[in-house]
Amino acid sequence: MLPFLLTSGLTTGALYAMVAIGLVLVYRSTGHINFSHGELFMLGGFFAYSLIMFAGLPYVVALFLAVILSFLLGVISDRLVYRPLIKAPGLTMVLATVGFSYLLKGIGRYFWGGKGEYLSIPAIVDPAPIFINDIPILPQQLIVLGAAVAFMVAFALFFSRTKAGKIMQATSENPTASYLVGIRVENVYTWTWGVGAAVAGAAAVLMTPLTLITPDIGATLLIKAFAATILGGLGSMTGAVVGGFAVGLIEQLASGYIDTSLQEIAAFLVIMVVLVFRPAGLFGVYGQRRA
Amino acid sequence: MLKLISPVPVFCSAAIFAAALPAFANQYTIFVGNLAFIYIILTLGLNLLLGYTGLLAFVNAALFGIGAYATAIARTKFGIPYGFALPLGGLAALAVGVVVALPALRLTGLYLALASISFAQFAVWVFAHWDPVTGGPTGIRMAAVAYGFSGSWETVHYYVSLAICIASVVVTSNILRSRVGRSFVAIRESEVAAEGLAIDLTRTKTTAYGLSALYAGIAGGLFAPILTLVVPESYDLFQVIVQFAMVVVGGLGSIAGAIFGAVGLIGVQEALRATKELQEIAFGGMILLTVLFLPSGLAGLLRKYLPEWREPLRRRGDDR
Amino acid sequence: MKRRILDLGALALVGGLFLQGPAKAEVGVTDTEILIGALGVLTGPLYHNGKTIYDGVESVYNEVNAAGGIHGRKIRYVREDDVCKPDQAVPAAKKLIHEHKVFMIHGGGCSNASLAAMPEIVQAKIPWVITASTAPQLTDPVNPMIFTTMLAGWMETEGQLQRAIDLGAKKIAIVKQKDAWADSRYKPLLDSMKARNITPVADEELSPDPTDATAVALKLKTSGADAVIGVLFPKAATVLMRDMYKIGYRPIVVGGSAISDLKAMDQSIGIAGSLDKFEALAPTKHPDDPSVAKWKDVVKKHYPSDTFMTWHLFGVASGEFMVAALKKAGKDLTRESLAKALSDLSVESAAYPGPMTCKPDNHQCYRSMAWFSLRGGEVKQVGVTHLK
Repeated sequence: MLPFLLTSGLTTGALYAMVAIGLVLVYRSTGHINFSHGELFMLGGFFAYSLIMFAGLPYVVALFLAVILSFLLGVISDRLVYRPLIKAPGLTMVLATVGFSYLLKGIGRYFWGGKGEYLSIPAIVDPAPIFINDIPILPQQLIVLGAAVAFMVAFALFFSRTKAGKIMQATSENPTASYLVGIRVENVYTWTWGVGAAVAGAAAVLMTPLTLITPDIGATLLIKAFAATILGGLGSMTGAVVGGFAVGLIEQLASGYIDTSLQEIAAFLVIMVVLVFRPAGLFGVYGQRRA
Repeated sequence: MLKLISPVPVFCSAAIFAAALPAFANQYTIFVGNLAFIYIILTLGLNLLLGYTGLLAFVNAALFGIGAYATAIARTKFGIPYGFALPLGGLAALAVGVVVALPALRLTGLYLALASISFAQFAVWVFAHWDPVTGGPTGIRMAAVAYGFSGSWETVHYYVSLAICIASVVVTSNILRSRVGRSFVAIRESEVAAEGLAIDLTRTKTTAYGLSALYAGIAGGLFAPILTLVVPESYDLFQVIVQFAMVVVGGLGSIAGAIFGAVGLIGVQEALRATKELQEIAFGGMILLTVLFLPSGLAGLLRKYLPEWREPLRRRGDDR
Repeated sequence: MKRRILDLGALALVGGLFLQGPAKAEVGVTDTEILIGALGVLTGPLYHNGKTIYDGVESVYNEVNAAGGIHGRKIRYVREDDVCKPDQAVPAAKKLIHEHKVFMIHGGGCSNASLAAMPEIVQAKIPWVITASTAPQLTDPVNPMIFTTMLAGWMETEGQLQRAIDLGAKKIAIVKQKDAWADSRYKPLLDSMKARNITPVADEELSPDPTDATAVALKLKTSGADAVIGVLFPKAATVLMRDMYKIGYRPIVVGGSAISDLKAMDQSIGIAGSLDKFEALAPTKHPDDPSVAKWKDVVKKHYPSDTFMTWHLFGVASGEFMVAALKKAGKDLTRESLAKALSDLSVESAAYPGPMTCKPDNHQCYRSMAWFSLRGGEVKQVGVTHLK
């Protein structure tokens, strides 16, 4: 049983990691947690559904268009909501993203809710399982796994090697000082919200064949992504991916060896237990960032 | 000169209006009024944590549930009359709140927020899975409260909630005027400076958690009978969000803000029923509009247009 | 003298009021309109259980209204959202009764929400016809005003168990969700099994919104079960079927009323043969059945953005039932006359495979279910069970 559980733990963990990457990206640059990230994911999936099912576009084209639409959604939300609140208290920003998540959920339900119990798009590859050492894996899961690692590496390099990446980190560390050295903080934020939404959209296109989407999927995935980022320490891209795998594994092992009722609560228990013993996450340094 | 637009006269007239309401309102309006009182108590409690002590803890939805469950269990399983079951609900929440506070003391900021949201979800899971005690997903059914007065028990319950709500406002206001209240705010402004003033961080924070839990538990005890059914889904993530929205929309660190926030959001929630299938869009949109145009809440309006409005330990300016 | 005249006047007035009593118009009924309230879920994760059903009900009402209404009265259907939660159901019921002043309530999809609203509706003594809530306490013991056109939870699981046995199951396992919807089926299922001296070889839990069910599938496989009874929502069932197929475990699976859309399941899994041994029940016929094609068009006409689903058929059947009851209650429509008409009524709807029959001592008016299976990519009705 163990090899099966480990494999499915890693493949579900990759799903959580994909969502967590977008969350960390926004946090790294703005210092805010985007509570509407799950709903951006949901809409990205619905965009892809409509592009494939109604516009009849091929999967790869739909992927790109859905990502672009998600990016635009992120930019629009920045202009409408986040930019006016740039100087508001942090808690107000939390409530704004929560409010935005309800708005998006309602929009998702209004346009796509009546189309079925849940929606899905065809997998990019043959959906039948393949066997590696007699352990079955769905090919789409391998794609998500690969994408999660690729995104992680790309963003880690972006933050450490490129000027844009360093600017984004600077705006988060100290917005006022960033203004003083000539960084247009508002524009950095606009890009961040846009790219964050685009990452959610990309994750959705790759994951929808596996997770199936409903207007309510956002909250479920968001909470798992939270657990992943907490394990990895808020703000660490590598940590988020490792955390995602860890949450996936813990869920599967708890469910397989203790009780299946623990599967849905495992992520919350992880967050609580980790924070009680390591108040800044497994890989975080306490006191490094107080948001 | 007698200042009419100051907290005490305004609060008294609001209380008198609330007391007179049942005379010309139907059962639906009375129910909504009762709900508003319960949420005022909750918001006052949560505001002690979020607004005054500056702790981003979202455990109150769970403690609200624990108060409701404890009251219902005391009544249905042990036959304890409601008059005793209600304070028992408050005490149960207080006990859990203090126990939860101990590990939470080490946490601050977003870490505390996420840990406490996790606790709230865990509590809902326990409500749903601890079948012998909580009745599982089907919950606990509770008979109407026999108050021994003639007429509708719900109207009597309305007055009980009103009385406890008024008492909570008065007690909160007095706590904030005391040394304890000033210690809360000192911690919010700077933990280091507070320690320098010989404020015991552990004890003060635990007091804040405990007080807040007591408010939530009592509110839960008042909430249980008006639904007749205590079930896990009443205390889920949406409950966390509603209470949080009430505090922020009303204004952090203001008693008047807590009242405005609770009454306003309950009113809006009921008004939004008219939007039917678009209720989520309307709810989200309403929150967005409020934070966009009133980033420091309704209490911010008070500060702006009524500078003579004095409240204990009110926040000055932004809390960033 | 003057005073006596006043007294007499007052007496006459009071007497007049009393005499007027029986003839006065019923609440929510005018010469041209009947106001009916829908209490149920319109938003939140379980909205299909309300919104889509009411689209079905209202499609029937719209057709009747277009044809001139019932005894000259048009039906106006006003919806209030209970979000599938008691804390929203109570104010929603109060609003329907005290603000809208409806004649009756036609709706109710979530058991916990309906149970919370029940005391209010009972106290108001207004007729209530339930469209989808399955808690048996709603109609048992019999309340003279409350009726249901949906199966009770225990009937479904009784049917599922019998079906599994009929299909040759020897070792039976259960997979259920942990919520009120599933609980009202799971507990009676355990009772039904006990009555037949069957012990479940495994009893596992799956969340309604899972991303993976490998661990559950593995546990079922190790238990050696040859049949699995699923008390699950469609998404959970789909993920479970996929992951059971993935690990090479192919038992008989018998699903409940929520998962009869086998075609959507098949398309989402995308692996040929993964649903070969899956059967699900529904209180309704299948949305693709030729006999409901008329309703498919009607619903499409009134709700163009809806995809026609099983849920609409719940509403269509219940709507047709209500129309028959209102016709039978006659021109002088009162709550009492409607309750009387309802308490002895039998209606056939194209949407249901069996009749809806109410008796004075039994307000659980529906007891039939159809079985569906996927044969060659198309959904086929493979059987019908009528419970006593």
